[in-house]
Amino acid sequence: MNSADLTESDAPHDRPPARPDGNPLRPRGVIAWLYARNAAFATVVVLLAVHVFVFQTDWSRTSGIGEMARTAAWFLPDLAYFPSILIALFETALIAFWGTAIGMAVAIPIAVLAARNVTPFGLVSYWSGRVIIVLSRSVHELVFALIFVSALGLGALPGIFALAVRSIGFMAKTTAEAIENVEIGPLEAIEATGAKRIAVILFAVLPQVFPIFVGNVIFQFDINLRRAAILGMVGAGGIGLIFAEQIMVLAYDRAGTVVLGVVLMVLLGEFVSNRLREWLL
Amino acid sequence: MMDELVRFSDAKAGYWRFVRLRRLIRYVVVLLFATYVYWTIWYLNIPVERIWGMPGRVATMIAGRMFPPDFEYALTGTVFMSILETIEMSLLGTVFGVIIAVPVSWFAAWNVTPSRAVCYPLGRAVLVFSRAIPAIIWAMILVVILGFGPMAGTITLILLTLSFAGKLMSEQIEAIDMGPVEAIRATGAGEIKIFFYAVLPQVKAAWIGIIIYSWDSTFRASTILGFVGAGGLGLYIRSTTQLLDYQRTTGIILVVIAMVVASEILSHFARQRIR
Repeated sequence: MNSADLTESDAPHDRPPARPDGNPLRPRGVIAWLYARNAAFATVVVLLAVHVFVFQTDWSRTSGIGEMARTAAWFLPDLAYFPSILIALFETALIAFWGTAIGMAVAIPIAVLAARNVTPFGLVSYWSGRVIIVLSRSVHELVFALIFVSALGLGALPGIFALAVRSIGFMAKTTAEAIENVEIGPLEAIEATGAKRIAVILFAVLPQVFPIFVGNVIFQFDINLRRAAILGMVGAGGIGLIFAEQIMVLAYDRAGTVVLGVVLMVLLGEFVSNRLREWLL
Repeated sequence: MMDELVRFSDAKAGYWRFVRLRRLIRYVVVLLFATYVYWTIWYLNIPVERIWGMPGRVATMIAGRMFPPDFEYALTGTVFMSILETIEMSLLGTVFGVIIAVPVSWFAAWNVTPSRAVCYPLGRAVLVFSRAIPAIIWAMILVVILGFGPMAGTITLILLTLSFAGKLMSEQIEAIDMGPVEAIRATGAGEIKIFFYAVLPQVKAAWIGIIIYSWDSTFRASTILGFVGAGGLGLYIRSTTQLLDYQRTTGIILVVIAMVVASEILSHFARQRIR
C-alpha cells in the first residue's frame, strides 16, 4: 500500500466533529450528579471527623504529640518479664486450638442445614441454620465469654466454648457456600449408578467441599489465636488476664511485653498454618 | 517368566501387611489424639464435670435472666447516642483506613512497589504489625495514650481496616496483568503515574468489593470497643453485665445483631450493584 491509496479518513488524527452536547459517553447531568454525590460524602466524613477528633476528644488531657510519644514509649517491652508469660501464651494457643476444633465439629452439621441444596427439612432447617450463623457471627467473643464465664466459672473452659460458638458462624457459612456451589456433574454421575443420598453426599459432595473446608478451618485457627489472646480480660483463660492486670497496675512495660508475646505467637501461628496449608492442599 | 508370576498366597500376605499397617497407623493416631485430649484437660485444669451441667445453666441464664430483653434502655437517651457514635466510628475508621491502606498496599505489593529495598519491607511491616495485634489490645493501648473516647476507637478501627483491607488490596495488586504497567513505564512515566494509570484501573472493582466487606467487619468490631473505654456502645455492654442487669445487656446485644444484619444486607446489595 503506497501513500496514494490512503484516503483522508484513514488519517490517524481524524476525529468526528465535537458534538454540541459534549461527550456522549459522559453526559453532563451524570457527571454533575457523581460530583455532587462524592462531595456530599466527603462533607459528611469531614463533619464526622471534626465531631470525633475535635469535640469528642479531651485534648487538654492528651496534651500534644510529645506527651503522646512519651506515653507510647512506656509500652516498650520489658524483656526480663518475657519468660514468665510463655506458659500463658501456650495456654492461649491451646484454647485457640480446642475452640477451633469444637467449633469445626459443630459447624459441619450446621453447614449442611444452611446449604440450600442439601438442607434436610426445607425452609425450616435452612433458616434455623442461617439464624445460628448470624447469631454466631454478629456477637463478639467477649460477650460469649461473659455468658460462658457466668455459666461455667472462671478458667479455660468458658474460653474454649466462647471461641467455639464464635467460630461456628464463619466456618458454617463458608462451608455452606461451598456446598451450594458444588459442581452438579459428579453428583449426577453417582446418582446415575443408583446410589443412595448418603453415598451421593459422601462421594460427590464431600470431595469437592473438603479442600475449601480445611482451608477455612486453618484460617479460622489464625483468627482464633488473636481472639484467644483477649478472652482472659473477662476471666476466660489465656494471656488476656495478664495483659489486663498489667494495664490496671500501670505496669505498661510489662503490658508491652505481653503484646510482643502475642505478636510472636500470632506470627508463629501464621507461619505454621501456611506450611500446613501447603502440605495439606 | 515364572519369577514374574506372583503366587496367590504372596498377594494375600501383601494385602494383609498393607491392611495391618493402615490399621496400626489409625490406632496410633486415635491413641495420640486421646492422649492429647486427656493431657489438655489435665494441663488447663478443665473441670469436666461442669460441662454436663452447662446446657442447663446456660439455658437458665438465657431464659431466666437475659429475657425479656430491655429494648427501651437500648433505644433511648445516652445508649442510643452511643449506637450512633458506633456507626460514626466505623464509618470514619473505614474511610481513613482505606485512605491509608491505598499507599500501604501499593508499597507492599512486590510487583509494582516503588522500591523493593525500602518501600516493600516498610509496607509489609505495617501490614503485619497491625494485623498481629488484636483490635481490643490496640484499643487498650490507644486509650492509655489518647484518653477515653471515640478517638481511640476510631484510630483502632483505622488500624483494623488497614490490616484487613490492606492485605487483601495488596494481594489484588500482586495479581494484576503486568502488560499495562510495562506499557506505561515505557512512556517514561514515574512510579506514581504507573500506579494511577496502570495499577488502579485494574484493581478498582475488586478494591470496592474489599472496601465494602471491610466496612462490614469494621462495624462488627466497633460494637465492642467501648468495652475498654474506646467509644461506642461496648461501654454499656460492660456496665450492664457488671451490674448483672442482663436484660439490658440482651437488649443491647439484640440491637447490635439487628444492626449487623442490616449492614450485611446493605453491603450485599452494594456488592451486587458494583458487579
